[in-house]
Amino acid sequence: MREIVFAGSGGQGVLTVGLIISDIAATEGLNVTWVPSYGSAMRGGTANCTVKYCAENYIYNPSQEQPDLLLAMNEPSLHMFLPMVAPGGTVLVGDTVTIPADARQDVTYVHVNCTEIATSLGNPKGANVVMTGAIVKLMGDFSREAAIAAMNHMFEKKGKAKFNESNAKAFDAGYNAVECLSDASCVR
Amino acid sequence: MAATRERKVPALVDKPMDFCPGCGHGIVSRLIMEALEELDQLNNIIFPIGVGCSSNLGAGLECDRLHCCHGRAGAVATGMKRVSPDTLVVSYQGDGDAYNIGIAETFNAAYRNENITVIVINNTNFGMTGGQMSLTTMEGQKTSTSVHGRDCSVTGYPIRFPEIVAREFPGAAYAARGTVTTPANINKLKGYIKNALQAQLNHEGYSIVEVLSPCPINWGLSPVKAMERIEQELIPYYPIGEFKKRGEEQK
Amino acid sequence: MAEMMKGNEAIAEAAVRAGARFYAGYPITPSSEIMEYLSWRMEEVGGSFVQAESELAGINMVIGASACGVRALTASSGPGISLKQEGISTLCDEGLPAVVITQVRYGNGLGTLFTAQCDYNRETRGGGQGDYRCIVLCPSSVQEFVDLMAPAYELSEKYRIVVIMMGEGTLGQMMEPVTLPDFVETKRTPWALTGKYDYKKIGIFERDSRKEAVELREKYDAIKENEQRWFDEGIEDADYVFVAYGVPGRATLGAIRELRAEGEKVGLIRPITAWPFPEKAFAKINPACKGVITVEENATGQLVDDAALFIKKTHKDRNIPAYALTYVYNTPPIRSIKADYFRIKNGEVKEVY
Repeated sequence: MREIVFAGSGGQGVLTVGLIISDIAATEGLNVTWVPSYGSAMRGGTANCTVKYCAENYIYNPSQEQPDLLLAMNEPSLHMFLPMVAPGGTVLVGDTVTIPADARQDVTYVHVNCTEIATSLGNPKGANVVMTGAIVKLMGDFSREAAIAAMNHMFEKKGKAKFNESNAKAFDAGYNAVECLSDASCVR
Repeated sequence: MAATRERKVPALVDKPMDFCPGCGHGIVSRLIMEALEELDQLNNIIFPIGVGCSSNLGAGLECDRLHCCHGRAGAVATGMKRVSPDTLVVSYQGDGDAYNIGIAETFNAAYRNENITVIVINNTNFGMTGGQMSLTTMEGQKTSTSVHGRDCSVTGYPIRFPEIVAREFPGAAYAARGTVTTPANINKLKGYIKNALQAQLNHEGYSIVEVLSPCPINWGLSPVKAMERIEQELIPYYPIGEFKKRGEEQK
Repeated sequence: MAEMMKGNEAIAEAAVRAGARFYAGYPITPSSEIMEYLSWRMEEVGGSFVQAESELAGINMVIGASACGVRALTASSGPGISLKQEGISTLCDEGLPAVVITQVRYGNGLGTLFTAQCDYNRETRGGGQGDYRCIVLCPSSVQEFVDLMAPAYELSEKYRIVVIMMGEGTLGQMMEPVTLPDFVETKRTPWALTGKYDYKKIGIFERDSRKEAVELREKYDAIKENEQRWFDEGIEDADYVFVAYGVPGRATLGAIRELRAEGEKVGLIRPITAWPFPEKAFAKINPACKGVITVEENATGQLVDDAALFIKKTHKDRNIPAYALTYVYNTPPIRSIKADYFRIKNGEVKEVY
């Protein structure tokens, strides 16, 4: 089973990244859950959601436990969720996040300047999609093609098919910005 | 002995209702039933009934009726009417039920312009529980919870709800106040009730008829004196008449 | 492929498919998406939707629609359900069916918005004034919630009783792949008020409350006999049997499967009806079992009262201890449940009963 926590400030699109990843997993026929923070829990300056997916087993506990990957789009999110990450897990951070010198060393930190990349593509709102591509590559569970197809399908359902091309470009930029860290896919 | 002409009891009334001697509820109940009969609606009526003396209505009727939680008839009537738009839904409530505890539901049903008819029996006190002060108790009126007379500086002033409906709710179809003090007033009241029911039948919107009604037991007056009190004390404050006529534009 | 759906939206659509044609309610986190969805969906299927002025008005509108024979729904949470209690008591008194959804959130008074199981006692004991019960269903996934909507209406009409769908904040807010059921045919109940007085009813002052109360008790006895639902696993040979419902119930299933794989003899009873409580499941428990353990999202332990009552009633010869693992709010991680299990096994946790 995989667990990913997506966190950032409201408006950074972290809930959407979670939705895309969970839709990719559902399209692949996996068991999958997506749980957001909601209500007053959103008032602490961060929005977050937790996605779990698994090929074999039912997802017993959909809530946050011990993420294999943390996406932290701002520093408050990093500080809030870093202690929870599984030893050996991955912490993916965006442009504005600095990893403190004394941060735990049993996880792998990956920096992707997603806002800078998205802006250079003329799609400044696509920073979260850049991170989606990066996460798919880091996790190594889904092929690039399957992921893009599922992402496009999700936006089509929302009537946003016109962004498919720019989304695919942003996705690829993120996908190509990182190396896969997983030695075995939970899917294939 | 002179022959007396026996008046026909409306078909919906199956047994006497337990109202106190001199109470006005019985007259109003009968007028509603007569109006339904004349409009050929005896087989098309549901009464959501309030809590208080108005509850006695449900005891003597042969028709669909539901006793509501205290004050909530406006909401119950809304639920009924939304799923049964062609059936007459007439709430029957006292002033304590409709205005004190039920003001939110009464107000909001009118505000949404639900196509229902609301009949409020205003006897200026909580009759069933022993004559406590209500929102319609007159200034200076002694009740079991205003033993020195109602002091409006701390309790607020008697509410005139049909006037609020007529003034504030543009969509409302009909708002009137009548009384049962004289045969002429009774006939006039029956006309108001019929108008209200017709408005609902025609899907014109919300209709309300308030009735100034005597409560001789709790007022400590004889039935005749109670009628006189309505004429002398209540009508000057609570005018009778139609405040919003059917088809009338908002003033 | 099952579509990812948000719990509250899937539940609302399932209610429509189960025949609900009237909704009235008031917004409250974490259940609001149910009314948001139905605000446009009801119209599409010829139903009615009212955004009520209050929780009180909402349940009383449900009374009106149910009295007229239509499958009616309201949804809320914590304080909103408290406000509805007089109406729920009235529905039970009048023998009117209805389904009430609560997506439980933690706290007394205004409380918090965190997912929780703090309202178990209120829902399973009646909740309002009087001497009545509601059937309480407590699904553990969005799919199970969706699948229980039609049975909820069937039960509520079969017994003329209120059915409480006791969810949790998480079940309303989360997304899971969901397969939606087919539409059921809608029809009015035989006792509906139609304006024609087809269904005779005695006056309020002629009712015999003593006789009615005895009949009601017989009805509740029949429900207890016939309608217990639960899931169980590994309880026949278990040293310790967990009892947990809802999302903690499914998390505990994960915990017992991991513990079994590690050689621990543990089992689970996951109630699907919180009332009637699945007493019959307890007869299957290993008579030599060393304890029952509830896993609860509250601080005081509520489910443990029922678990203790029925383990001690079913296995009278032995005073089997009942433990409560209470995590206040939010679903406990599986590793916490496991760690706390070992604390119980090692005698570090005192039994509640």
